Amino acid sequence: MITARWTLAWALVWAALVAGCQPAERSATTTTPSTAADVAASPPRAEGHQPLRSVDDLRHATVGVLMGSAHETWVVQNLPDATLRTYKTVADVNLALGQGKVQAALYDGDVLKVLMREDPAVGRLAEPVFAFGIGVGFHQESSELRQQFDAFVAELRQNGTYDDMVRRWIDEGSTVLPDIANRADRGMLTAGVSDVGLPFIAVKDNHLVGFDIELLTRFAAHQRRELRFSNMDFGSLVAAAASRRVDLICSSIFITPERQREVAFSQPYYRMETLVGVLKSHLATTADDPSEIAGPAAPRSWWERLVASFQSNLIAEQRYRLILDGLWTTILISALSVLLGTLLGCVFCLLRMSRQPWLVWPARAYIALLRGSPVLVVLMLVYYVIFASVDLNPVVAAVLAFGMNFGAYVAEIFRSGIEGVDPGQTEAGLAMGFTPVATFRHIVLPQMLRRILPVYKGEVISLVKMTSIVGYIAVQDLTKASDIIRSRTFDAFFPLLLVALLYFLLSWVVSALLDRVQLWIDPQSRHIPGVARPGETIGPPPEPATALAAPRVAGREPR
Amino acid sequence: MIKIEHLAKSYGDFPVLKDINAEIQRGEVISIIGPSGAGKSTFLRCLNLLERPTQGAIWFAGVNLLDPRTELTRYRQKMNMVFQSFNLFAHLSVMDNLTLAPIRLRGQSRSAAEQRAIDLLRTVGLVEKAGRFPHELSGGQQQRIAIARCLAMDPEVILFDEPTSALDPIAVGEVLPVIRRLARAGMTMVVVTHEMDFARDVAHRAWFMDEGGLYEQGTPAEIFGNPQQEKTRAFIQRIRYFQRRFQSRDYDVYGLQADLAAFCDAQALSPEVAERLRLVIDETLQRAPRLLDTPPLDLSIGYSEKTQEIELVWQAAGPAGNPLEPQSPSVPGPVATPTESLDTMVSDLAYSRVDDRNVLRMRLRQG
Repeated sequence: MITARWTLAWALVWAALVAGCQPAERSATTTTPSTAADVAASPPRAEGHQPLRSVDDLRHATVGVLMGSAHETWVVQNLPDATLRTYKTVADVNLALGQGKVQAALYDGDVLKVLMREDPAVGRLAEPVFAFGIGVGFHQESSELRQQFDAFVAELRQNGTYDDMVRRWIDEGSTVLPDIANRADRGMLTAGVSDVGLPFIAVKDNHLVGFDIELLTRFAAHQRRELRFSNMDFGSLVAAAASRRVDLICSSIFITPERQREVAFSQPYYRMETLVGVLKSHLATTADDPSEIAGPAAPRSWWERLVASFQSNLIAEQRYRLILDGLWTTILISALSVLLGTLLGCVFCLLRMSRQPWLVWPARAYIALLRGSPVLVVLMLVYYVIFASVDLNPVVAAVLAFGMNFGAYVAEIFRSGIEGVDPGQTEAGLAMGFTPVATFRHIVLPQMLRRILPVYKGEVISLVKMTSIVGYIAVQDLTKASDIIRSRTFDAFFPLLLVALLYFLLSWVVSALLDRVQLWIDPQSRHIPGVARPGETIGPPPEPATALAAPRVAGREPR
Repeated sequence: MIKIEHLAKSYGDFPVLKDINAEIQRGEVISIIGPSGAGKSTFLRCLNLLERPTQGAIWFAGVNLLDPRTELTRYRQKMNMVFQSFNLFAHLSVMDNLTLAPIRLRGQSRSAAEQRAIDLLRTVGLVEKAGRFPHELSGGQQQRIAIARCLAMDPEVILFDEPTSALDPIAVGEVLPVIRRLARAGMTMVVVTHEMDFARDVAHRAWFMDEGGLYEQGTPAEIFGNPQQEKTRAFIQRIRYFQRRFQSRDYDVYGLQADLAAFCDAQALSPEVAERLRLVIDETLQRAPRLLDTPPLDLSIGYSEKTQEIELVWQAAGPAGNPLEPQSPSVPGPVATPTESLDTMVSDLAYSRVDDRNVLRMRLRQG
């Protein structure tokens, strides 16, 4: 029924393309001139695609949406023949649209309008697809908080603050969050948000800004509770509220029946249209669009583009601080996970090699389970299921998940290392009168470490890179930092390359550190043949190898 | 000094050592010989409890090592071991191999331990290798280092577990003199070895082990010169056996031929020997058809590596009587002189009746 109504609406309005796309007001702080220019200069166009006129034309198109959004549901239900591409962040949707990987993308209307202001290559279909009220989501049982929020919004509407916020953020495109005093003496309020883009939520100067952010900040001040944000993927928001990971979620979330089954929503605080974003070069008719007349920007040299990219991706809004903070988080999680994992590895290796079957079996099960399940799944389980009702710092959850995973691998590495040491070495130690523990400490352990270190090094490096998925539980690591920057600058190339370079450097440093350890535990790697060492000063120099060639070759491999 | 009482060891239900009783005096050198799988190494490893005996007692310096209250590490320090595969500590230099235990276990200072190590290395002729790592040394050098490593702990007994089995002849020549020298110096030693000459010349007593037991023991002159037991004799003379059971007259002629050829090849005997053996078998079965009247018929060919002699032994059930002689005049059969053509190929034909079986022995005439 809904479909029928919308089909009628399309028929009526398809020709009325909105010409509200002003030429971008470019400023270094809010956009990426170079990227925008690049996109405009060489609009990618998939071969054989018809230009788009209306929502009807989307039926066989490739359509991009944000994962977990109402847009996704709508496309699945109404455009069964369309190719659906879902992306984890709005930044990725923007990139896919800009690079022509999708022909069209569904957006929150006000977000698309901001995007169009910043990127002149992006246009839209005139007709809205559907409209919904957006609300703040709460756990089903926190009705008190929800009612307080509703009352608070009603108050805002009454005293004019609400209209002022709409004017500033949505109509005027402000990016400044006003100072709001908060005594914050009544505890903590945690809010799950996702940087879906201005005017609602975005990261600027390393802080969250936007309409939703101001709304939440005001509500927290009203509650006199300290507000703490958890910036996660849009698709994780509902689950976060349903599992009480956060007190409330807010990210221009459409109040849809599906979501209402999971979380309780406030009264809608804004009504928003869904619009279809399309590259102007894919649009059928926009002759009267003033921005269409303005030709592509003058091409610039690669060096200038690089400098501009550097400027916008790192310098503007102090974005380098995002990268540095992210890098630190990545290092912290990696280091603690390696530590925890190595400890767990020792313990489980010990259990696994025990002679008691009731110790061996749990260890085997642990190793098999942890090695057999993707670390991402473990991460989500730890955060959203095992510690769902505990206020656990997501960094701790990440360390637990990665440490547990790493521990399973390390246990097996240790075991193979110990088993790789010739049993004769242990026997020799025991026969000389060493206790089993001393034999392990002085004879087996040094040889095992030497043996496992290369494999261990590889595992550590792979762990460092694996931590790039912690964005799933709202940890701002290096990868997430680049996501945030990409969502603001619409530049895929520079942030991704920079992050790749940083991961490489990190791995290189780890590798160099462990090489140091190797040198320390393996004196032979320092040994240069022919150089005299203690005890070798007595007697003539070693006889030439040829004199002993026969017995040496034959005698080296016993048995 | 060491007294072994009723020592037994089994893996699950499988007995490896059976009721061994023996005594070792201070300053004595014991050589343990015997075929593979006889339990020699297991026995040696039971002495220092690298393998835990299932029952029995080992008295060392008045203490039963098998008593759970015995502080084992203390006695192991006095009873050191040299392994077949050297087992030098792979991650340590030669010097550190020699000083690790004296420093860690006897609390020697590093300088004292190193001085002693240098002296010991000098006695095994390897002072200049002190800074080397085990993998840089030849097998013979590694085994000499291993002996020096034992001596560094000033043990009262040294157990040698086939110390030269992993070495080529040249390396064996490096290692045996070192052990000989220790024996002359009065060190108590138990040596499991396959070097028969060494076992005979160096040891004060020789133990022959087979089937998990101490089968025969005595002075080297007794064991090597005049072994009392059949198995000891077979071992000392290094007799190799080929065995075949015939179930009927229609046995697999070509299979037998191929197996004989393989046996002779393994003993480095010429193919003609295999051919002659086949002819002897053929001829014997022709001349003595009664052998196959009551299957099975067992043939055992023994080849002594030491004397180069080849003996065939036939065993079959049936009524008493030399199968090569006519059963009775009334029975028709091959007449004339049945042993004539056999005589050209074999010598020392002998018939006996053992355990209700007819036993026929013959020795192959050589070349």
